[in-house]
Amino acid sequence: MTTYRLQGGRVIDPAHPDLPEHRDLGLRDGHIVELHPQEAIDHVIDATGCIIMAGGIDLHTHIGGGKVNLSRLLLPEDHRRGLDALALPDNLLELASCGTCTPGTLATGYRYVQMGYTSAFEPAMVAANARQAHLEMGDIPILDHGAYVMAGNDELFLQLLAEGADFERIRDYLGWTIHATKALGVKVVNPGGISAFKFNQRKLDVDEAHTHWQVTPRQIVHTLARALTELGLAHPLHIHASNLGVAGNIESTLETIDALGGLRAHLTHVQFHAYGKEGPMKFSSAALQLAEAVNANPNISIDVGQILFGQTVTASGDSMRQFANSGLAHPRKWIGADIECDAGCGVVPFRYREQSYVNALQWAIGLELFLLVDDPWRIVLTTDHPNGGPFTSYPHLIRLLMDKSFRDEQLSRLHPDVAANAALKSMTRELSLHEIAIMTRAAPARLLGLTDRGHLGVGAAADVAIYREDANAEVMFTEPTHVFKDGVLVAERGTIVAVPTGGVHYAEPAFDRGIERHLAARLRATSSIDLRHRVIGHDELCGCCNGGRLLPAECHAAFGATAA
Amino acid sequence: MTALSAPVSTAPAPWTCPFCALHCDSLALQPRRNGWQLQGSDCPRALAALAHCPPQASVARPLVRGEAVSLDDALHTAATWLLASRAPLIGGWATDVAGARSAYRLADRLGAVSDHAHGPALTAALRAQQDRGGYTTTLAEVRTRADLIVCVGTQPTAHYPEFFRRCGAGEPLASGPRRIVFLGATADTTLPADTVQTLPLTGDLFDTLAQLEALVAGRPLAKAPDPLRALATQLREARYAVLVWEGATLPAHGELIIEALNRLVGLLNQHTRAATLGLGGSDGGYTAQQVHTWLSGLPLRTRIGPQGPDHDPLRHDTRRLLDQGEADALVWITSFGPGLPVPDTTVPRIVLGHPACPVPAGDVVFIPVATPGLGSAGHAFRFDGNVVLPLQRVVEQGLPSVGTVIDQLLSALGARA
Repeated sequence: MTTYRLQGGRVIDPAHPDLPEHRDLGLRDGHIVELHPQEAIDHVIDATGCIIMAGGIDLHTHIGGGKVNLSRLLLPEDHRRGLDALALPDNLLELASCGTCTPGTLATGYRYVQMGYTSAFEPAMVAANARQAHLEMGDIPILDHGAYVMAGNDELFLQLLAEGADFERIRDYLGWTIHATKALGVKVVNPGGISAFKFNQRKLDVDEAHTHWQVTPRQIVHTLARALTELGLAHPLHIHASNLGVAGNIESTLETIDALGGLRAHLTHVQFHAYGKEGPMKFSSAALQLAEAVNANPNISIDVGQILFGQTVTASGDSMRQFANSGLAHPRKWIGADIECDAGCGVVPFRYREQSYVNALQWAIGLELFLLVDDPWRIVLTTDHPNGGPFTSYPHLIRLLMDKSFRDEQLSRLHPDVAANAALKSMTRELSLHEIAIMTRAAPARLLGLTDRGHLGVGAAADVAIYREDANAEVMFTEPTHVFKDGVLVAERGTIVAVPTGGVHYAEPAFDRGIERHLAARLRATSSIDLRHRVIGHDELCGCCNGGRLLPAECHAAFGATAA
Repeated sequence: MTALSAPVSTAPAPWTCPFCALHCDSLALQPRRNGWQLQGSDCPRALAALAHCPPQASVARPLVRGEAVSLDDALHTAATWLLASRAPLIGGWATDVAGARSAYRLADRLGAVSDHAHGPALTAALRAQQDRGGYTTTLAEVRTRADLIVCVGTQPTAHYPEFFRRCGAGEPLASGPRRIVFLGATADTTLPADTVQTLPLTGDLFDTLAQLEALVAGRPLAKAPDPLRALATQLREARYAVLVWEGATLPAHGELIIEALNRLVGLLNQHTRAATLGLGGSDGGYTAQQVHTWLSGLPLRTRIGPQGPDHDPLRHDTRRLLDQGEADALVWITSFGPGLPVPDTTVPRIVLGHPACPVPAGDVVFIPVATPGLGSAGHAFRFDGNVVLPLQRVVEQGLPSVGTVIDQLLSALGARA
């Protein structure tokens, strides 16, 4: 395999604060290696005037599975420019693939890599739809990928909880679900709410009972978080909290943190969950309250779900809230679904407008959260692609965070009440390159348990991006000079130069294998898929992923002694 | 820990039927000397399809203009014809996920139009979706909670024999009785008579649905017939109503029927719960639609044209393109059975076909391919859109899969100039 020496660059590697910034990096056999001074090198890359970071990791981006493809089907207009087609790639290595807020899987891979990202994770895989999610992600070139399976709205889980089943049974059922769907993590979306909507319930607060099962989101969240802790998954419960988008939902968000009782969890796209109801519009920023809670609770990590202005589409498993928001669809069309006694989905196109008070405040709230949370290791940069905006807007977002004058200039263009009164206006913090590297690489790797990613120490996977330093961070982060994936040069100055197949990350929790037999009758009663087809095997996963590498993650169960 | 980590499923895998988009997956299939033994269903559609697939290696060989040739020669001729084509069309698309993945690469390589053999029905569903969206449900939801199923202009078991069994018709529903209404269709006589009701149309299907929507919305409609009025009441009072339609049985402009059903569901969802369930997507229809969409960003009936991907659900219709002389070569993919004949045309045709597929005379390259779910393993989308099922290889047909043949064809075509 080709050996590279990257020399002359500034290495921004927050996981290794002790190593010098100015050091050479060696790349061989897919890893970062110590190169002997006399060693023959195939290529020396002069990175003078550049910074070197690990490849970017997006831990929450809707890139594969039913609702993503429904978004594409719903929005042919996202895949052309007016009446004209979007141009074909001028690179023979790329196949035709297009779209802005819901690009095809091929374009998704190309565009991420062109920005220096090398891994991306689908956060809302429906168990019944797991094969589609893996098939789609397998067709995203170059990037490593993985998915979090949705739980907590499946009728079987709710039934077990309602009956007061043994916790161990519920835990093993969750372990089985992760095993069956080859998930890297577990996400709960509007805990109980998706199911409740199927029973015609229109709202569900944290301490409100599900109309049929009579269990509360508080119970659901706590049970799932405890189960994942015991199963030993690296990534804690990924939570899309109750009441997404509702004015005053900060209350639910804080109650959800409280429900965890100190257990680890990751609250996702918190911008959509940090709203107060103060002021003349009865809609206000609760970023400070949420940031204080995050700062005070070291068991909590978050990603932001920043919104950016323009057309996008919101694709969510939260059928209850998406139904409620469907009247705001732009253009005026939307898709919803109830899925297999398992989950749901709602796809609502949306245009965030600078002159909308609500949208302008949403924009400010996201940025306030970035600037108010003290510990960059517990906050990840996301737009909840495509819900807050497409992932291609990350360089712009990074500039907003690093450049106070640019941020103020943008703020001044927004709805006048927000421009005049947002707390954001008085925030002077500018994030450093070091902090950006944490929020886009090191922290997501750590939160997902990817020990060989997100850093540039010897032995790490050689996922590397080199950016030419520029006073304008947006320019800098739009087009790295070089991107390496597992030691292979995959992009050079914005051009894709190799298209290897990415790998798939998934967790391998230990659980009582008897659970499948024990629950067989109930698993059959709540699904139309033969139980013998519920589990995706390793060979099948490999086929779904186009032969990409299988990257299983060991789990350190906290119950081994008793369950064996 | 090893005991806990051991694989949980050790039972032999069941067989997933590939022959309609219900993809019943609890069946067992055993080869016998003179055919197959199917356990778990007596579905006439599956049995008819199996009759075309002897459980032995196939003797079918590649043909060029009716002459048996080697696979390499067939691929060489196909490549020569395709390289000479300026407006190629990839039709049929009756294949599994792997075949569809390869077919898209071929479309990209050739700059071809892609359309499925069931293009008209798929397009009706697509256009309704592109225009206004919709609210859908899936089999397990229907089985556990649908207390009212209204079949609109279709008797589902005519084309999908196992439909009502998969919906759990006849099984008790926790929330109360389940009613099945056939609107403008004859009832399935195998259903318990006391749960079934038939309703004639009031005018045509368009008129009937317009009236039903008005009634559900509570608008005064003095002339509406009483049974339709009663149906509107039933819909409003149902806990979870499911409106079933079938793309292939809709009249011309069927997308307007689907849109009317979506509007009706939208109205009902303001106060109670309802969803639609569309029947269609067999012969790899939904599989092709999904795969083409996720790879390119756009659905079928797209041309990878010189200006970029050009999606047009009306212009890029197989029949229209051939009739108007707008395609000068056709790749026809039909791997599930002989039932999707090569469209009538004189342009050079490359047929990746089921071994029993009739081969027309003229400039035809025929390459027999394995049947997904019999001769090759793979994946297929179920009709309700959310579930992908594994297809199993149960016999050595001695034939390459569609995906394999296309990959070889791509090699024969060489790199883009």
